[in-house]
Amino acid sequence: MKIISRSTLAAIALILSACGTLSTGEAPVQPVSSNNAVIALVDSARSDNAGGRLDVAAATLERALRIEPRNPGLWHELAKTRLQQGLTTQAISMAAKSNAWSGDNKTLRAANWRLIGEARTQLGDYPGAQTAFDTAAQLQR
Amino acid sequence: MLLWLVLAFAVFTLYLDFSVRHQFEGKRWALPARVYARPLELYPGVKLSPEQLLTELNLLNYRVADAPLEPGSFRRSGNDIDLMTRAFTFSEGAQNALALHLEFADGHLDTLRDLGNAGTVTLARLDPLRIGSIYPAHNEDRVLVKLDEVPAMLINALVAVEDHKFYTHHGIDPRGMARAIKSTLSGGPVQGGSTLTQQLVKNFFLTPERTLRRKFTEIIMALLLEMHYSKDEILEAYINEIYLGQDGDRAIHGFGLASQFYFGQPLAHLDTEQAALLVGMVKGPSLYDPRRHAARALERRNLVLSELLRQQYITQEQYVAAKAAPLGVASKAPGGTTPYPAFLDLVHRQLRRDYREEDLRSEGLNIFTTLDPQVQAAAENALARRLPPLEKSRGLPANTLEGAIIVTQAQSGEVQAMVGGRDPRFDGFNRALDARRPIGSLIKPAIYLTALEQPATYTLVTPLDDNRLVWKERGTRDWTPNNYDRQFHGEVPLHQALANSYNVATARLGLSLGIPRVMDTVHRLGVTRELNEYAASLLGANELAPIDVAQMYQTIASGGFQTPLRAIREILTAQGQPLQRYPLSVEQTVQPGPIYLLTTAMQEVVRAGTAQGLQQYLSPELNLAGKTGTTDDLKDSWFAGFSADRVAVVWVGTDDNRPTRLTGASGAMTIWGDMMAKLDPEPLNMPPPENIEMVWIDSESGRRADSACHGAVEWPFIRGSAPTETAPCVSRSPVKAVKGWFKRLFE
Repeated sequence: MKIISRSTLAAIALILSACGTLSTGEAPVQPVSSNNAVIALVDSARSDNAGGRLDVAAATLERALRIEPRNPGLWHELAKTRLQQGLTTQAISMAAKSNAWSGDNKTLRAANWRLIGEARTQLGDYPGAQTAFDTAAQLQR
Repeated sequence: MLLWLVLAFAVFTLYLDFSVRHQFEGKRWALPARVYARPLELYPGVKLSPEQLLTELNLLNYRVADAPLEPGSFRRSGNDIDLMTRAFTFSEGAQNALALHLEFADGHLDTLRDLGNAGTVTLARLDPLRIGSIYPAHNEDRVLVKLDEVPAMLINALVAVEDHKFYTHHGIDPRGMARAIKSTLSGGPVQGGSTLTQQLVKNFFLTPERTLRRKFTEIIMALLLEMHYSKDEILEAYINEIYLGQDGDRAIHGFGLASQFYFGQPLAHLDTEQAALLVGMVKGPSLYDPRRHAARALERRNLVLSELLRQQYITQEQYVAAKAAPLGVASKAPGGTTPYPAFLDLVHRQLRRDYREEDLRSEGLNIFTTLDPQVQAAAENALARRLPPLEKSRGLPANTLEGAIIVTQAQSGEVQAMVGGRDPRFDGFNRALDARRPIGSLIKPAIYLTALEQPATYTLVTPLDDNRLVWKERGTRDWTPNNYDRQFHGEVPLHQALANSYNVATARLGLSLGIPRVMDTVHRLGVTRELNEYAASLLGANELAPIDVAQMYQTIASGGFQTPLRAIREILTAQGQPLQRYPLSVEQTVQPGPIYLLTTAMQEVVRAGTAQGLQQYLSPELNLAGKTGTTDDLKDSWFAGFSADRVAVVWVGTDDNRPTRLTGASGAMTIWGDMMAKLDPEPLNMPPPENIEMVWIDSESGRRADSACHGAVEWPFIRGSAPTETAPCVSRSPVKAVKGWFKRLFE
């Protein structure tokens, strides 16, 4: 019984995480910054990300963060790159850091929680992932 | 017998042949690691004044020019600056030399345009300031050059003066040598008579002794070298190897570095007379040192020039012009020793975790660090400016006080400045890293944070008991902590106990929380040292270095996310390929809610508590957060605090641990204020985390109030933890009560 419920949960989590991948991959509605330098760096990081040059993407995002250290959108972008780099724990921390600066931006917070859900799924923490996905869903209601 | 001799000679020659080829081909010059400061980022909107940019350009040795057409030159007219950057290879790739037009307004860069096509530039970087090197054994420093980068005139001069048969001989010049041998045999001075090839052999393979046997070996090796390698290969090796001067401990090798060292220019840019001077110096770099013996150097240079004329490398006209030119040596040599020894010490220690010492000293690595020269200057100046008046005001003999400062970026943990003592150029005891001192009240935020992590029991307005405390523990003497003002304050709200740094209330709070638990919080804030768990530890008896304190306050400033302090961003190989990055990493070790409450209380320290005096330096509207620290007998004076953009820690004390007669507020805090005022800090306005609510509290009773209550203050609470009882002022007016009821209904 226990085994069944676990695998069911895992399956749900995986499905949800697939949804999560889609939704965190979407381009955010709002621009990340009003600063053109930051926008240019984010664009360049995204194309490096897409091209699999994850180290370069991360370095570029760090450069953007030096310009706007408290921009929650940048922390979210870096969290995404860290997740792609397989640095799951770092991805979770950075998404949490993004949340800390997000204020009322529920869309961004939801995206962060979905990312945390994905990362937890990868770590095998299915209940934790479920909680994260639920939080994301609540924020977007 | 003869056969044996021939055989022995053959074996010896074979051995030399092997060793010449092995060493020449395997020869890789040991190149020092070069350490760079952060590059200055230029983009419209960046906080930067024309003066700050000029300071930066000055540090980078940019020259004033009527038209900045050369890399590394600039022109200022009013609030506009035109400049041409130097090409530089960053980790993301090469940035070409850029011609830029900059306009400034209200303390920021307003417009950034390409000088050529007038198009807007989104983002550009200046080349980074080189702040030091990590040198190979014997402190040999050099800048490698390829033969095609060497001006023809330098090669001409070298051949003309040192070895005019270079392109025709086979490694030795028998006639010149015969002269030398004759002179030596007849008891006269040992003469040179060496070809360039022989000189190279001497520098490359042999010890400096002067015996006939060595001369013999040298001749064989020179012949062998010429057999195996082309003239160009030999010349290129010579140009990179030759010793050309001394800069303290640093030995200047090769024409590439000599050109920078004496003229501040790349080798390719040298004029005829400059090339002539460098070639002239080969004979005796210290004898003809143009900085120390200008007249002698000039004479030597002109001798080289006349030799160039005689051998028709230059025309009579060129000769006259070159001879009339001054020596043209840059007045200050680019420092071989770093002006920032404390910071470089930190860089070196971080590097040693990942690299072997010999690789650091020989592989020519390019190390990109986080140092911000302007922040560093503000820190050094504040310490230098404040220590003498502090000594005077406390009746201390001059030069008794020491200090240390660390400044970091509040979110990324990048170390922007480090001062290891009052003489920031002194490369010795680094107090910022190695002076471990009791931290006094700097520990208190950890105690209050531990309490605020339990919202059911502690909030910012929870009353704490500041009456006399006697702590009994078996085997130790009774512990009776005192307040700084030698008074007890009865019942005080938690935020006020921190703001006024009340020892007794804090000690009682810490004891009820449990000392191990408090020390666990200190560890979660990033302090890795082992901490004693005595009752006195609650008042900061534990000894920490300023860097530990910086790490601790960094975690608070970044909202509960521990971020290891970093001095290095990335490392490139000598060829400019990325070798290693030191990525930003964060770990949430404290929840954002309690950190938000703690920061609010630390802002009160500055607004109304022990650090009120900071307002002499910085506007209260900046909402800065901080904490003063003072130790027993006023031996140590500490201040740690942060704005939205920076965390800074200052320590003041004496090396032999004598009383300084300074509190945290009268000593370290004044330096902190002086420094931060120069850095134009960003106001600390934090967005409240999701689980924070604001509630009006009656200051008198500590109960729930509303905005209409006289003297009521709005405080943040973890949702649901605010007092439930209302203050008497609230329900006095029935209208208000009804209004409040409706308001609650619709919330």
